[in-house]
Amino acid sequence: MRVVRALIIATVMVLSSGPAYSAEHTLIMHHMELEEITVPVRVGDVVNFDNRSDMTHNLYVTYSDGTVDNLDTQVPGTQRKLTLRVAGPAIIKCWIHPIIRLEMEIAPKDAPAAP
Amino acid sequence: MTFRRALSCSIIVSSVATFLTVVARGNELTTGVESSAGSARMSAAAIDELKVKFRRPTSIPFPKSNPFDEKKKELGRTLFFDPRLSVTGSVSCASCHDPNIGWTDGLARGVGVTGVPLPRRTPGIVDAAWLTALMWDGRADTLEQQAAMPITAEHEMGMPLDGLTKRLNEIDGYKSLFEAVFPGKEINAKNAIAALATYERTLVSNKSSFDRWIDGDASAISAAARRGFVVFNSTGRCNKCHSGWRFTDDSFHDIGLRSEDIGRGKFAPPSVTIMKHAFKTPSLRNARMSGPYMHNGSMKTMEEVLDHYEKGGELRPSLSPEMKPVKLSRQEKDDLLAFLKTLGGPPLADKGPELP
Repeated sequence: MRVVRALIIATVMVLSSGPAYSAEHTLIMHHMELEEITVPVRVGDVVNFDNRSDMTHNLYVTYSDGTVDNLDTQVPGTQRKLTLRVAGPAIIKCWIHPIIRLEMEIAPKDAPAAP
Repeated sequence: MTFRRALSCSIIVSSVATFLTVVARGNELTTGVESSAGSARMSAAAIDELKVKFRRPTSIPFPKSNPFDEKKKELGRTLFFDPRLSVTGSVSCASCHDPNIGWTDGLARGVGVTGVPLPRRTPGIVDAAWLTALMWDGRADTLEQQAAMPITAEHEMGMPLDGLTKRLNEIDGYKSLFEAVFPGKEINAKNAIAALATYERTLVSNKSSFDRWIDGDASAISAAARRGFVVFNSTGRCNKCHSGWRFTDDSFHDIGLRSEDIGRGKFAPPSVTIMKHAFKTPSLRNARMSGPYMHNGSMKTMEEVLDHYEKGGELRPSLSPEMKPVKLSRQEKDDLLAFLKTLGGPPLADKGPELP
């Protein structure tokens, strides 16, 4: 019982600690475009890439330091999650469809959380 | 009810049903919405909705960094046809992108200054202004980047960019042409390439019978071609990649051709399996009905191409998920071929300028 109580307190502390809390966002993939995330995103946030188009995509994120995170191939109806790693401007593109491009500003981990 | 009366009722009901079916099918057929084999059907409303996606744009997009200018276009045109841009002085851009052969060379694999066959077929350049990725493997993002690649490639034109600058400065006739476009600036390869890209953007396909049909002329294409349009956008699955007015979404796919060439896989991290053997979806506008086809020119006839898509390509981890075997009847294939022929408008001609 003590252990459970301790866990609950720890969870509450993590959730209430403001900037350290990581949020999850959904980024919807349409036919040839990505729906912009309208709230600020931070390092440590998780983006859930949701392919609601009728075609296969394979997205990748290029961070401001030049490093790249590749998502796996996503057939229609599938989701992939990615934890954002680097603060600064990032570009999301598709290996299969170069016309797809979305720019995103990633705030540092300790930036204020989205309202 | 007696048997005879029941039989009469049955015959009447059956006749009415048959009549209604015939009327309904007649409406479908007169609007040309049913494919010959009956497996690919589309309502008139669905076709009208689809046709909107194939409308041609009304203007050419030019980038802010390299805006259109008539004199720049003319300079680019002159450079395009000038073989002195190659190291040997024997190969111009127009040698491989020959206006008389649909702005390609008609070869399975191109040949440049060294005579060594190039690894891939010469791609068409008409409607290049709208491309979002260039070269078979997409290694260029803009026409300005692309234009320098064949000039400098060892087996194509073999001319280093500083060599190009030097060569152009040695030709007196270019002085006034460059001065008119880039006043007060020295002649250099960068400006030459900007002019080449500008000229290439003006190479726009002429309207075809398909475009007239899209614009509302119902009789512009045959019933077979209209059925082919339905097959193209349904059971044939061609529109999965050959979509939009240029009949390409500039996407990259491994379509299962046997080849050592890994295409876009050279530029993607090894973990991106799907890019191995992936090449750009080519436009189908003005596709030479005489071939050759595919990035490596490995297919000689359009019939062979259709057979390949029916089989679905070589099974391997990189094979595009869009590559699913399709079953087409003889009639559907003929309809598809009739449709593809409607995408070719009058040839885009250019006899080339007088060289300085």
